Order: sequence, then C-alpha cells, then structure tokens
Amino acid sequence: MTLLLVGLGLGLAGAIAGAILPVRVRVLGTAVCSSGACVMTFGAATRVLATGHAVTLHSAAVLPLTGIDLRLDPLGALFIATTAGVGLAASCYGVGYAEHALRSRTATAMFPLFLTSLLLVPATSSVATFLVAWELMALTSMLLLLVEHRHRAAARDAFQWYASMTHIGAAAILIGLVLLATNAGGQTFTDIRTHAATLSPALRSIAFLLVLIGFASKAGAVPLHVWLPRAHPEAPSPVSALMSGAMVNLGIYGIIRVSGELLGGGFLWWWLVVIALGVLSALYGALHATASSDLKRLLAYSTVDNIGLVLIGVGAAGALLVTGHRSLAALAMLAALFHLVNHSAFKGCLFLGAGAIERATGTRDLDRLGGLTRRLPFTTVLFAVGAFSISALPGFNGFASEWLLLESLLHGFAAHGAATLVALLAGVAALALTGGLTAAAFVKAIGIGFLGQPRSDGAANAHEVTPSMLAGMALLATPCLVIGVAPGLLATALDRASGVALGTSSATPLRAGLGLGLPGIGSAIEPMLLVAAGLAAMLFTFGVVRLVARRSVRRAEAWGCGRELQTARMEYTATSFAEPLGRVFADVLRPDHDIEVTHVAESRYFAQAIHYQTRADDGIERAVYRPVISLVAVWGAFASRAQNGSVHRYLAYGFVALVIVLVALA
Amino acid sequence: MRRRSVLRSVFTRAVTEELPRPVATRQQPRFKGSLQLRHVDVGSCNGCELEIASAFGPHYDAGRFGARLVASPRHADGLLVTGVVTKNMAGPLQKTLEATPEPRVVIACGDCAVNGGIFAGAYGIEADLDALVDIDVTIPGCPPHPTAITEALRGLTGR
Repeated sequence: MTLLLVGLGLGLAGAIAGAILPVRVRVLGTAVCSSGACVMTFGAATRVLATGHAVTLHSAAVLPLTGIDLRLDPLGALFIATTAGVGLAASCYGVGYAEHALRSRTATAMFPLFLTSLLLVPATSSVATFLVAWELMALTSMLLLLVEHRHRAAARDAFQWYASMTHIGAAAILIGLVLLATNAGGQTFTDIRTHAATLSPALRSIAFLLVLIGFASKAGAVPLHVWLPRAHPEAPSPVSALMSGAMVNLGIYGIIRVSGELLGGGFLWWWLVVIALGVLSALYGALHATASSDLKRLLAYSTVDNIGLVLIGVGAAGALLVTGHRSLAALAMLAALFHLVNHSAFKGCLFLGAGAIERATGTRDLDRLGGLTRRLPFTTVLFAVGAFSISALPGFNGFASEWLLLESLLHGFAAHGAATLVALLAGVAALALTGGLTAAAFVKAIGIGFLGQPRSDGAANAHEVTPSMLAGMALLATPCLVIGVAPGLLATALDRASGVALGTSSATPLRAGLGLGLPGIGSAIEPMLLVAAGLAAMLFTFGVVRLVARRSVRRAEAWGCGRELQTARMEYTATSFAEPLGRVFADVLRPDHDIEVTHVAESRYFAQAIHYQTRADDGIERAVYRPVISLVAVWGAFASRAQNGSVHRYLAYGFVALVIVLVALA
Repeated sequence: MRRRSVLRSVFTRAVTEELPRPVATRQQPRFKGSLQLRHVDVGSCNGCELEIASAFGPHYDAGRFGARLVASPRHADGLLVTGVVTKNMAGPLQKTLEATPEPRVVIACGDCAVNGGIFAGAYGIEADLDALVDIDVTIPGCPPHPTAITEALRGLTGR
C-alpha cells in the first residue's frame, strides 16, 4: 500500500511539476515523475498479484464527509499493473513526442494527473472515492484531447462528442452506484457486497443497467462507442495509447467489479445483454476497422472490436456462473482478462507507432503513406509486432488469449439453457469473423502503409523518430512477444484476478508451465514449441533456397502491363484495398460515393476534372445520434430565443417571476 | 468447306487433321514439356491474333503440346510477339521483356514481326523487331497458319 501511495503521490508531483517548472525541464520532469509513479504502482500491484492478499486503507482526511477508501485486491491490481505498463511506455514516449506537441503547461500538468487517476480508479473501494477518481479521469482526458485543437478543428468536434458521452455515462454510473449505496446502507464496496443479496431483484437490475450504460460507454461498446473513433485518433498519441490501452479497460473493470463482484452475478439476462453488446461491438468495430484509411481511426475501431471480444468473455463468464458452471466461468473470465491485458500491450504499441508515423511523415492517412520500411526500420518492426499480435498470429500474445477465449466459449456449450447456448454460439461466430477481419485490417495497415513506394512527400522524406519514442514502443512490444511465447507466466496473476471477479478462490481448470493447458478439457498450447518449429522451418527453407537458387539476382521494375508512366499514384491504396469488403458489407458500412465530373467547355466527351470522394460514416451515429442531436439543437435554438442577451428582457423576466411569486403567495 | 466438314462430322466420324510436325529450331528445346508464353501485340493488324487464337483453340489445341498463353510476363518463359514495332509500343515491349525472367525465348510470329512485312519502312515504325530484341524463333506467314504456329511451338516444347 505504501508503494501504491508513493506512486500516486509521484503522479501528483508530476502534475505540479508540469504546471510550475520552466519549459526546458518540465517535459523531462513530468516524464520522470510519471515513470516513477508507474514503476511504484506496478511494484505494488505485482506484489498483491504474487501473494493474492488484498491491502486496504481508510483515511478520513482527503474527501470531506466520506473520507477515502482504497483497497488493492488482485482484480484491481491486474488493471493497475496493466495501466502502469502502458503508462510507463507512454511517459517514455512522451519525452520524444513533446518536441512535436504535448509540451504546453496544460498538457504537461494534465498528463501525469490523467495517469494518476487511471492508476487510482481500480484501487478505490467506496462509491464516493470511485466517483471522484472516475470524474478526475474523465476531466483530465478531456483536457488532453483538446491539446492540439488549434491545429486540428476535428479535435474540438471530438471533444464535444467525448464530453457529452462521458458525462452521460458518468451520470448513469453515479445514479446506479448511489442507488445501490443508499439501499445497501453504506457507501463502501464492502457494504454493498454484503447487502447485495438482500436488495430487491428489480433494484439490482435497474442499478445494473445504469452502471452498464456508463461503463459500456467508457469501454466503447456499440452502440455507445461513437465518441471513441473520434476521440482516440484526435488525442496526442501517448494519450491515445493511454485511452485505448488503459482507459477503456476501466469500463470493463467497472462492469466486472460492480455487476460481477459486488452484485454477486445477478441474473442470466444481464450477461446475455453483455454478450450481445460484445458480439455487436466485435463485428461492428472489426468491419469499420477494415474500412478506415486513417491509421489511428482504424486502431480506434479495432479497440471497439477487441473490447467486444472481452465483453463476450465477461458475459460468458457471468452466464456460466449463473447457470452453475463455476470452473468454466472462471476460465471464460480468465480468458477475457487475459485478452484485455494483451490488448493493452499491443494496442498501446500500435497507437504509439501510429504517433511515430504521424510525427515522421506528417500524415496518418494510409493512402498517403507507403515505403516506410526503409525509412523507419525500427518503427516498422515494432508496429509489425503489434500488428501480428492483434491479428492473433501464433507466437504473439493475441493468439494465446484468443485461443483461450475460444476454448472457454466452445466448452461453455456444456451449459444448460437454449439462450446461453445461442449467445455462446454467437460469441464463437463473432470471434471467428472478427479474427479474419482484423487480419485484413492489419494486412492493409502494414501492406499499404509501410510497403511499396511512398505516396506523398512526407512519406518520401520521413526520418526515424527519436530513441525515447522507440523505447516507449519497445516497452510495449516486448510483453507482446514474451507473453506470446510463454503465456503461462501470467497464469497465476490472471487466475487470482478472475477468482476475485467471480467471488471464488482460484478455481480455474488451468495448468500453466510456460504454455497453457486445460487438463479437464484435454487441450493445450505450447507457443514456445510453435515458435521453435516455425523458426526451424524458416531456417531450413532459407538454407535450401540459398543452396539451390542461382546467386545472381536481377532487379526489374514492378510489372504494370508495360505502361510507360508508372508512378506511386498507381499503387494500391488503403481505400482500394477495403473497397471489396465495403461492397460486401455495404448494409453495415454504408459507404458514400460522390463522383463529380467537370467537362471542358467545347465538348462533353472530354473531362476536365474528376472529383471522387468516398466516406464510410458511422451508421449508428447517423441513425441513432443525429436525430437526437438535431432535437437538442432545436431545443437550443428555442432556448436562445428566450435568452437573447437583452438586459431589458431579463429584467422583465425577473419582474414577471416576482409578480407570479407574489400572486402565488397571496 | 469448313461447314461441310462440320456437317459431315455429325453424320460420320470426327474430322481430324494430321498432327502438325515439330520444326527444328535454332536452339535445342530448353523448355522441354512446358512453355508459358506472354503474347505481345506491338502493332499487329490482328490477323496473327486470330491465328494464334485458333492455334490455342479446340481444333489445333497447341495446349496439348505443353504450350500455354499466360496473363503476365512474370509467369512466362517467353514472349510471343506479333506485328511491326510501332513507336508507341517500343517502350512497352522493352518493359515486357524486362519483366520476363531469364532464361527466356522470344518468338516472332508473322511476317511483320519477322521482317516488317508490308509495313516495313512505314513512318510510324520504330525499327524492325530483330533490331530491338534477340529473336530466337521465327514463324513466317501473313498470317501464319495455326499449323505453322503449332509446329514452331512443338519445336520448343519437344512434344
């Protein structure tokens, strides 16, 4: 606990340092403070995960009336450790990135504060402390989103979406938790946990739905995801990495903590709703990721997709627990948490990589990149590690967790009840389809973005980014590889965390050495062996080719049907790569095409210019949110007519109100 | 005559022709058994194309001797060039030759490709084909008969 407090204190110190230090030292100062905060809290969290014993702290000092309650148990510790890992990488990366942006006083002060709030949320153990930390996280992330608003008008738009969605979510969580706290007779999580069984089913369900709305919107689950593909791309890259790698996790944390742990599982339909949200998010996110040509938008949609997979796992765990399959439930929960941890590592790495590319080339539009392998060799390798992980290639961490998730869903078919079965089947189908779509999206990101010839001056003149940025990416790429080769290393920690989540002690049917095995099911993976076999096969092939093939190599131009003028403009672009998928899934993606042909004045047979524009807007945003927004706009116009700035009218309002009051009182 | 033979085939037995004989080429068959060709029209009147289509059609069926037309020089063992080299096609011809992996064979099909034919010396012509690339096999004729094309290809595949 001391370590945790020292870590949080360091984070706050970083915020103060960022606010008061002169510009030359403040970037480094805040980076040192936030790195220290991450290292300390990581130490505290790993100690709790290693021993399995929770530590608690109550202090009446900080918050008036309630005081603060902190409790670090294995579930929270897992999230803190993950956040600390991403935070350390982002802080390190931020030093190099600050030459570009994120060096203003607001930014340097807000970044450590945001990090501290992210580290604080999973450690809180009362409604009041939780809500304060949650709100701090929301506010600081909003301010960080606005850092680059002078250069990018889209950041302001994203801010509005994020601010409204996050506050609607926070309000829902507030009402839900306060409802629970007042009826349970105490505002600490312990009070709620002990009295949860005595609460009426209707009250529990209402509270569940409210917190689900709040947490699902923070996690970016469809249909509450609309802010995510706007805010994550527009934020500065270290902040994007923290948002996608740590903040969305806390939405999942909230769902697990409140509905799983505090409310003790509840009813089957809760978890079917969660699975439905997960399936929807996974498919919708993956489809939009394949259709996006903005690199960071692609990553943001792929976050929606991965959070969907995690939600499927969490929902399956809850459903299996309610139907009485304790060990299968523990396995599903473990798989979900495992995927969440892995997602933080690779998505953090990918967002940092996207930031490095934006920094080096001045654009993040895949259609304008290309030819980066030679100019940004290290960034390319690190980005590729992230991309291979997210595509779940064997030997990378995404493979291990998606395998476990699939196993847990498939063996969950033993559960009773048609509804559970259908939900699990849908989950398996979603997992399979998103696996393919994600691979397509990242083939596009690497193949179009990095290979080939540069398609813009920025890409042609790119230079490798600074060592600190590379180090930040490497910090997150390393766990991708290590966990990918030896997933068994995390098994104990994940087992303890999922035990807390389901209110059981370690009951997972998991045998862990370096690989993972499921003795009850008779299935196992040893990624180490897979990697060894793969490497051996590659070496063998390489050797044979070297022996057999002719030494002389003739390099010729790429075959372009013999055309005389062959430039980089004729390359395959991200848009053209995604076009067939956009056609197949036109009902979901609803791509918009505009073709405008200007003819020369003399003859309509000759075109002077052709403008082609294509967009894949968010269908849910258009169908659900736009009508609401226009309604609010109408209401706003009405209100602004009443409040038109005329002092005379305001005086009249006061007078009329006074008259009414007097008449009413008389 | 053609129609008669088709009619006859309905009532009697199938009409066949004698197999085209393989002709001796300047080089030994290097693509023994299989020859993938990319066809390049560098300025043909399309007469040769008709005959090539016929040679690879069901009747003459050059495919049974191991020759095949492919879509990309990247897949090809050689080029099957027809027509005179026009100014517009000289560059693409070079690029196609560049794109064909070695060892490769260049076949000049039809009089125009062999020596310019009736277009020799015309204003739109870059040069004779043999001045631009090394020709390995020539198939004379304006246009060459499908049998002649098949014979030349048999000479290369050795089947």
